Amino acid sequence: MISRRALELATAVLTGSFGVAVVVSSLDNGIGWSSAGVDAGTFPFLTGIIIVLGSFYNLVRGLMPVASLANVPIAITSIELRRLAGLFVPAAIFVAAIPLAGMYVASALYIFAVLAIPRQQSVPRALGMAAATALALYVVFERMFQVSLPHGALAAAFGF
Amino acid sequence: MDNLGELLHGFGIAITLPHLALMVIGVLLGILVGVLPGLGAPNGVSLLLPLTFGMQPVSAIILLSSMYWGALFGGSVTSILFNIPGEPSSVATTFDGYPMARDGRPTTALATAFGSAAFGALIGVILITFLASWVAQVALAFGPAEYFAVYFLAFASFVGMGGAAPIKTVVALAIGFAIAAIGIDTVSGSVRLTMGVDELVKGVNFVVAVMGLFGIGELLVAVEEEFHARAVSSKIEWREVFRAVGRLPRHSVALLRSAAIGCWMGITPGGPTAASFMSYGIARRFSRRGRYFGTGEVEGIISPETADHAAGTSALLPMLSLGIPGSATAAVMMGGLMIWGLNPGPMLFVDQKDFVWGMIASMYVGNIVAVVLVLLTVPVFAALMRIPFVIIAPLIVIICVVGAYSVSNSYLDVVMMLGFGIVGYLFKKLFYPLAPLVLAIVIGDKAEDAFRQSMLMSKGSLGIFFANKLVTCLIVAGIVLLLLPLVLQLARLLRKPAPSIHETTVQNTARETAREKVII
Repeated sequence: MISRRALELATAVLTGSFGVAVVVSSLDNGIGWSSAGVDAGTFPFLTGIIIVLGSFYNLVRGLMPVASLANVPIAITSIELRRLAGLFVPAAIFVAAIPLAGMYVASALYIFAVLAIPRQQSVPRALGMAAATALALYVVFERMFQVSLPHGALAAAFGF
Repeated sequence: MDNLGELLHGFGIAITLPHLALMVIGVLLGILVGVLPGLGAPNGVSLLLPLTFGMQPVSAIILLSSMYWGALFGGSVTSILFNIPGEPSSVATTFDGYPMARDGRPTTALATAFGSAAFGALIGVILITFLASWVAQVALAFGPAEYFAVYFLAFASFVGMGGAAPIKTVVALAIGFAIAAIGIDTVSGSVRLTMGVDELVKGVNFVVAVMGLFGIGELLVAVEEEFHARAVSSKIEWREVFRAVGRLPRHSVALLRSAAIGCWMGITPGGPTAASFMSYGIARRFSRRGRYFGTGEVEGIISPETADHAAGTSALLPMLSLGIPGSATAAVMMGGLMIWGLNPGPMLFVDQKDFVWGMIASMYVGNIVAVVLVLLTVPVFAALMRIPFVIIAPLIVIICVVGAYSVSNSYLDVVMMLGFGIVGYLFKKLFYPLAPLVLAIVIGDKAEDAFRQSMLMSKGSLGIFFANKLVTCLIVAGIVLLLLPLVLQLARLLRKPAPSIHETTVQNTARETAREKVII
């Protein structure tokens, strides 16, 4: 279970650290005024400062005990968390597999895995859907629109 | 009456067989993304974007804008038949649309929604026809300072009128600006904010951000609540369609009022979602049958639908004539314009007459095509909703992955897209607004350039933003909008001296919940 407050804090920290990274990185480009006009780092520097200040405000608001939603409801229950992971974890594995297996094989495996493993569909049907997905991708992108999707390191090793 | 002549010329471009075919394809794809939860107009349009690179700009924009109309209509179908809004902007349609459909009048509900939506869109297009070229003419005289002032006003109006918590809006905007700055700086040529990743030199494409924020993000929100598609009957009785549309003129006050609200919210970047909620709220307050709202009132359907479509359409006005999109989808389309080599803004009306008027004419035709197609295909798309979410969700993931990859054939984009997905989920969950973030990614560079050019002209003095009446007015209006939330809060504090702490908490919670519902 994750409370609304924890989620608010985590997000504020996330945006805040992005802001800090922007501020630090923009210092390399120089901030302020030079002979060529406003330096390249000035605008990012200012936006970084705004992000940091805004995140700090959101952080403090999330910490304050009263008069805010932050501590009232539960944001994500454990069932919802499981459903989230059920969608996101396979998706992340799918993306991680693309450089090795290529887009076609990876997406076919992905479809097969999410349909067959939780017994959502029977194995033959899941196989059929996986093959259909890969084929549809190939026809639409490689053939119709001439967009080459990554074939993957394995395919390259076999000489495709 | 120059405009009418140009418009007729535009009809000559829009009504050709290939363009009509594109409209049909666009509208059907649009209804599809509108119906499917997890896919919406912004990422639907950005998915199609890479496929339009080989097309004529005018054909490409006809395809994309038709998809936009289709998505707006598609969102209403699921709201009414399933009580599941396919698009955030059609949430308000569920309040009265679903009860009416459940009471055995689905055709009436759908026809009323489509009829009033078409009316709203029509008013929006008429507004564009007569106003856009005039605004563009005024804008031709703009210098960098005026441009920056207009950008500033647009961003400030998000903070002042967007409806989300103001500081969260500011943070979302600033993050968008920072993302826009990643890569090679157009003015000095130096590399910025790549944080040591060489591949980031090319910058972060807005399509990648949209795929993640709206695609994966929305999917994650949708998977949380296991929804049951319990449809009411989706059969269309044609006689009832004409009867329902024929009854619309009786509600002309509500229609006109909602269209006005929609146009206003569309031109100032409030967006269709805010417009539909605002219109519903106002209708409930002013209607004589206000207390029956929520049980299937006709005006409860008319008001949000008209405003939604009026806002969605008129959001294209500032995009065309000023280069400032009024909604997230308009921002994506504007990104498309830049990729096709067009420069959105007043010069379009001088250099690209065929494009501009062909597009405006196609908006009239496209909306008619959309109404007809959506009525014809309601049963088909309603059947689509019965496919279990577990099958649709991985397909949408694959579509987003391929979409992000095909923008510039980069694997890093896919990884970033997934990262944006997490951010999109968190932001949606905590009511950070996403539209300003996308808007800032698309036009952040231009706003920065305008600022730096004005600084060069004035040799570093901020006085240039108060140099003439026009620019002063714009800047002052922007500052007023920025400070509006603060002033309102102070006024509220002063009015209610000190109720007991418990009471405040309860009231605030209730108010915040109500408000937060509005901005999803």
